[in-house]
Amino acid sequence: MNAPDINLIPLLFASIFTSNILLANFLGMCSFISISKDMQSSNGLGMAVTLVLFLTSGLNWVVYHMVLVPLGLEYLRFIIFITVIASMVQIIEMVIDRVSPKLYITLGIFLPLITVNCAILGVSLFLEIREYTFLQSLVYGLGSGLGWWLAIMLLAAIRKKVEKGPVPAALKGPGITVITIGFMAMAFIGFGGMLPVQ
Amino acid sequence: MNKQNFGYTILFTAVVSFVFVLALAVVNEVTADQIQFNREVRLVRSVLDAMGVEFEDDEHARELFNDVQQVEQNGLSLYRFARNEEVLYAKQYSGAGLWGPIRGHLGIRADGERTLGLTILEHDETPGLGGRIDEPWFQEQFRNKRLVDGRIRMGSRDGQGDFVEDSGEFDGITGATSTSQAMERIINNHLEEITRALGGAS
Amino acid sequence: MSSAPAPGAMLRDNLWTNNPIFMQILGICSALAVTNLLTNTMIMTIAVVGVMGMTNLTVSLIKSLIPRKVRMMVQTLIIASYVIVVDIILRAYLPDISRALGPYVGLIITNCIIMGRAEAFAQQNPPLLSVWDGVTSAFGYMGVLLAIALIRELLGFGSLFGYQVMPEIFEPWIIMVMPPSAFFVLGIVIWIGKAIMEREGAPA
Repeated sequence: MNAPDINLIPLLFASIFTSNILLANFLGMCSFISISKDMQSSNGLGMAVTLVLFLTSGLNWVVYHMVLVPLGLEYLRFIIFITVIASMVQIIEMVIDRVSPKLYITLGIFLPLITVNCAILGVSLFLEIREYTFLQSLVYGLGSGLGWWLAIMLLAAIRKKVEKGPVPAALKGPGITVITIGFMAMAFIGFGGMLPVQ
Repeated sequence: MNKQNFGYTILFTAVVSFVFVLALAVVNEVTADQIQFNREVRLVRSVLDAMGVEFEDDEHARELFNDVQQVEQNGLSLYRFARNEEVLYAKQYSGAGLWGPIRGHLGIRADGERTLGLTILEHDETPGLGGRIDEPWFQEQFRNKRLVDGRIRMGSRDGQGDFVEDSGEFDGITGATSTSQAMERIINNHLEEITRALGGAS
Repeated sequence: MSSAPAPGAMLRDNLWTNNPIFMQILGICSALAVTNLLTNTMIMTIAVVGVMGMTNLTVSLIKSLIPRKVRMMVQTLIIASYVIVVDIILRAYLPDISRALGPYVGLIITNCIIMGRAEAFAQQNPPLLSVWDGVTSAFGYMGVLLAIALIRELLGFGSLFGYQVMPEIFEPWIIMVMPPSAFFVLGIVIWIGKAIMEREGAPA
């Protein structure tokens, strides 16, 4: 089985816009809705997700293709992937703490949230199903992270306005947020017309 | 024994991991044959489906498949099925979709004039958008259709079947331009290979 | 959660007043994507019921043995193991569904509700009660997702569980098959649910 011949630039573009991991694949919703109340936290979490996604997609690719496949242990991939993600988050937390205490204040509190962010595990599972090469995996991980970051920043900005508007009592909070996300999802699909022929 | 003790923590984690991994290995081993069997049945059904051969159930499909030969035609590996003076061909195709590989079988008549059918075995397009290629209406439109210059064209209109009979034009999927274009490219590439291989033989 | 919850009260609490989706929109990541078809949603949520019941049982049984430091890790390991079992069973006996669900079965691991209940309930309560809690919470989750899938499949394909129910002249709403509609329908379902709750006087 040879890897699919998928161009990296459309892949990056598609993973950020047209098939945004959050808006088209619904991944990473839990923290997305609870954190997007606040712009600054959204920014911090978005940055952290992008970093972790980029690194774990590369690492999980290596683990899957260099360790699990040769040993015939593909069926254990769920456990291995989640362990790799959890360890990666721990390591990043320690490194950031040592290297830049200032950055740690911005990112630190969000890192533990990331282990249970479905987007991270989701991307690792997609890499395996789609048979990406190492390079494609990195690009897809990066693109998905950037897409997630962009989506949460936009939603945080919209929510600020919406919260002041006259919303029916029962729709306040999660209800109106979910519907807002729906409109964003429609807008993002509209980017499809811009995607160059691949 | 102190539960917060370092040694205990390590031991506990190791034992728990061992027990669970062992249990999973057993489950995996027990079901391995069934999974392999499912895979074979799926391949058989897909090849016959692509050729437009009808069958009642899995058993019947496997029976029919016994008469399907795997042939090398000018270096191209094809499934060949001769029935009632009619010769049907199918080829396994694969190519890059928007996200990942799309695989399946493409059936064609021996004279290369008409497609017999198309199946999609594997794809990972966006659910609800490009992912709609696995809906029956999309695949059914390739059933016994005339080719124009040995190619197909993917229209942009979304419908429930091709809209001009025998125009060589098929419906793409609204909102999933890339997937539709990818399908068009994959199918045409494989059609070209097949017609070249079959043409060279006669 | 009080120290000795009554099973009847728990049922009501987990299914309705404290429904994880209504109150916090937890755990939808793994399942929202498959809500365009009822059958897939059904299988997916049954898998969640199984995983959640078994996880709560296991955590509750070994809770006194788990060292505090690795608690989360052990819980994750338990959840992941049951999810793998579900994945293997689907592959072996329901191959078509397994393919349709794709990576989303694996994503049950990161369903926040499962770990949430294991942590909040099974860690403190006896095994049988924990299973009950897990199963009822999962049913609450199942109810909301099936409601979404019902609307999406009916309007998007004109069918229910794959059987055509709408008359021939019905033109399917393409939008209902596409991802954004999942958000719209979820928002509306939450809206209706909360409105009913408010009328009942429950704290919403």
